[in-house]
Amino acid sequence: MIRFDQGFIQLDGAMGTLLQQNGLKPGMHPEEMNLLHGEAVTAIHRTYVEAGSRIIYTNTFGASARKLASAGLTPEEVIPAAVRLAKAATAGTDALVALDIGPLGELLEPMGTLSFEDAYAEFSRIAKAGAAVGADLAVIETMTDLYEAKAALLAVKENTSLPVLVTMSFEATGRTFTGCTMASMAHTLEGLGADAIGINCSLGPVQAAPFIRELARHTTLPIIAKPNAGLPDPSTGCYDLTPSQYAKAMLACADAGATLLGGCCGTNPEYLRALRDALADYQPAKRTTEKSSFVCTPTRPLSMDGVKVIGERINPTGKKRLKQALLDEDMDYVASLAVEQMDAGADLLDVNVGMPGVDEVTLLPKVVKKLQSVVPLPLQLDTTNPAALEAALRVYNGKAAVNSVNGSAESLQTVLPIVKKYGASVVGLCMDEKGLPATAEERIAIARRIKAAANAIGIPDEDLWIDCLALTVSAQQEQALETLKALRVIRYELGLNTVLGVSNISFGLPNRPLITQTFLVQALHCGLTLPIINPNQRELMDAIAAHRVLCCEDAQCSDYVARFAQESSAAPAAKAANQALSLEESIYRGLQKEAADAAVQLLQNGSETGMSIVEKRLIPTLDKVGMDYESGRLFLPQLLGAAQAAQAVFEHIRTAMGEGSTTDKGKLIIATVKGDIHDIGKNIVKTVLENYGYQVIDLGRDVAPEMIVETVTSQNIRLVGLSALMTTTLPAMEETVQQLKALPNPPAIMVGGAVVTPDYAEKLGVYYAADARQAAEVTKTILG
Amino acid sequence: MNQRTSEVLRYLGAKNAATPEALEYAKTIRRTADRFFWQLDEQLTPKGLYRLFPLRHEPDGETTLLDSHGQSVLTLPGQLAKRLLADCQQAALLLATLGTPFDALLRTQQARDMAEAAILDACGNVLVEELCDQLEQNIQQAYPQLYLTDRFSPGYGDLPLGLQRELLAALDAHRQAGICLTDSCLMTPAKSVTAIVGLARQPQAAKIRGCAYCTLRDHCTFRKDGKRCDSF
Repeated sequence: MIRFDQGFIQLDGAMGTLLQQNGLKPGMHPEEMNLLHGEAVTAIHRTYVEAGSRIIYTNTFGASARKLASAGLTPEEVIPAAVRLAKAATAGTDALVALDIGPLGELLEPMGTLSFEDAYAEFSRIAKAGAAVGADLAVIETMTDLYEAKAALLAVKENTSLPVLVTMSFEATGRTFTGCTMASMAHTLEGLGADAIGINCSLGPVQAAPFIRELARHTTLPIIAKPNAGLPDPSTGCYDLTPSQYAKAMLACADAGATLLGGCCGTNPEYLRALRDALADYQPAKRTTEKSSFVCTPTRPLSMDGVKVIGERINPTGKKRLKQALLDEDMDYVASLAVEQMDAGADLLDVNVGMPGVDEVTLLPKVVKKLQSVVPLPLQLDTTNPAALEAALRVYNGKAAVNSVNGSAESLQTVLPIVKKYGASVVGLCMDEKGLPATAEERIAIARRIKAAANAIGIPDEDLWIDCLALTVSAQQEQALETLKALRVIRYELGLNTVLGVSNISFGLPNRPLITQTFLVQALHCGLTLPIINPNQRELMDAIAAHRVLCCEDAQCSDYVARFAQESSAAPAAKAANQALSLEESIYRGLQKEAADAAVQLLQNGSETGMSIVEKRLIPTLDKVGMDYESGRLFLPQLLGAAQAAQAVFEHIRTAMGEGSTTDKGKLIIATVKGDIHDIGKNIVKTVLENYGYQVIDLGRDVAPEMIVETVTSQNIRLVGLSALMTTTLPAMEETVQQLKALPNPPAIMVGGAVVTPDYAEKLGVYYAADARQAAEVTKTILG
Repeated sequence: MNQRTSEVLRYLGAKNAATPEALEYAKTIRRTADRFFWQLDEQLTPKGLYRLFPLRHEPDGETTLLDSHGQSVLTLPGQLAKRLLADCQQAALLLATLGTPFDALLRTQQARDMAEAAILDACGNVLVEELCDQLEQNIQQAYPQLYLTDRFSPGYGDLPLGLQRELLAALDAHRQAGICLTDSCLMTPAKSVTAIVGLARQPQAAKIRGCAYCTLRDHCTFRKDGKRCDSF
């Protein structure tokens, strides 16, 4: 077993420039050198071993299947050769061979098109190939996307028993290209079981040192610093530090807490010799790590240094609209709930999709991916299904929270190992096999039991949050006080963070917000740190804002002042002006609330049915908006604003007309073709068509022809809309059209997008739609 | 009027917006765009870079970019590159990107409000173009004695989009700016632009500004109405 925490360990330096000096030609993959000039690769490794490097990286940075494909090579050919060459260089020394794993060169979803699962599969091939021929450890380096780093780390840990180091590349801003923060990297990778973490490339040692110091505050793991030889001259590409300057600057990284030290671009054995000499009589720095409860996404680190609000809205219990959305996999609706809660001030979001008729194991990870593509907030995965929990934690990008484990032996045994494996935080519910305890003392006893079990498996106190359960006061009145009593002990004696689903308390009583708000304030006073509430309820968020002032969490009351200053200035003036607008006028002007109000009034005074509103008012208005847009009298946002106002009217009409009744005028598929990932145009078309009353099945972007054909057949679709934005994806559009036309009963097809012309559509024998407005015309022709 | 928000209006159509209501709405768009620009300036770290390469004009009409050792880095086929770079001894490759954080903001905004998302999208286009202009100015300042040609990109005229992969490699764009390319030659992050600009010893007439060189000329709605997109 290698120990990474016993003094300094010297890593190696750059490989690429040395390869160029030894026969690597422009356009060649550096990994081809392993097969063509193996002796040169071994010689380079050996110079690093002789320069004092105790861990050398194999020449496999780009050895993924997709990168090697253009050279007609596979990881299984290149990697064993590379490991053997490195082993030849370390033979007879105590230096170790690390299987080097670099980024795949393609962005993962949602930023790009590569799925997490495919990335994992690629990294698994690399890891297995390296482990099979005896690499001593694995290093994952130069990552800029935490999600990709996670896929690689899981692949190494699940397919090999190798120790694994992970380094990411940070810009001078302290974030990676994809916006990942130092804190998010540290907590996520430590949680997932990396053996050491740090930074490489991008910066020189001078710029890296302060970031190493920041990293040291957030991790207990040994820290790696493998920076460049300074900063490059933009015109020559040469790095600005000499070997001795570099070595001296590396001591600042050591002082900041790094113990695994090496070089990246611009370094060579000379730099590493200087480093070895500099480290000879140097001591590692003393480390202290801040202990804090922490969850995150890559871009949003969240330390529990005060009251944080968990939004409760993504939970189908008692919510008809959300239930329907989950059954239909209408992810846009779920996403809108997330954005709404974020805008209302939620710090993290509880996500529960458990209900009859859905398969949580497939749905929960799908929802997690969707939510992470639209909101940066950390998520709390709320499920009683361990398989769904694991599936969701696996695809979660960052450090998640889990809701929940309880005190029963079965729950502790199944949930805690999953939480530990993925490095999450977990909510411990104060109940067990015997059910809900009636007294505070019993709850505290269960909390202690959960804490002991969590600690035993390696989950620290910071990652355990206790929920001592709020019961409905109209049914069990005396229980509210027991909850508060337990809260005090758990927060102030056990020192744990506390979670509480506050809204339960007022169920069945009049003026619920008053009871909920009062109980929230009591609970905050007794030590509640993580209330689960509806952040859209003003009273509750106001109470929290006030609480933060009174507890000195809101320094100089600045958040509080900002909250109420905004309010007094904004609201009143605008409102009055629009009061008397007709439904048509409101829609035309894109005024959602006014349009909905006008529709409600028409429905209430019985003058019109939902259907007649749609037929006689809504659609003619949308037609006028469409024509005015087409003739250049309206801007695109006005077209969309009108569509959104119509949507608000639709929601009311659907509610008024009840389930089953329909304004539905037929369904169609829309998709951006395979290879095309720019989808705002397609989304605009969707928004507009939905508001004409069509059911739009949005297959998304980068959609394979087979997927479209399959959906057409299984759902008996009569119209398909395809969008392509690049000349390079037109062949995919043609392929899709051909496959659809080969069906026994082919649907109508309309095409659009920046590069699609009427001539091109005619050539394909399909309808052409230049924009959302024309798409609505075509749809009307086909579906009526 | 603010130049940036005028550009946003141009992206958002309504070329015949002459009624008082439309002009009023244009103001609303400008306000929203201003708010977005403020937010984007605050939250994004756009990245721009360029590199200069000596040129070799091949007998077959192709133009080759060379590295400092005279090795071929990138070959530009076609008439457009030939004509634009005819007088040039060197050319610069440019790269500008708003980064993945812009894409994330746009996804959020689409879930929040589609109408405003269209405005945000246009703001992104304006910013990345602005960054390209800035890079061109930087080049001009660095080489005040030389004259720049028009800026052109893979996908313009007969310069194939498939060139993108080699162009990005020549700029080490993955490492330097986090740019990736999908199999269909789309750059991610979405708001990324690559371009080529030649440097010559004599003044260069504008050759590709204008409709004749625009890929959209056959179905441009501005042209149908006898107008031009730059006349907003």
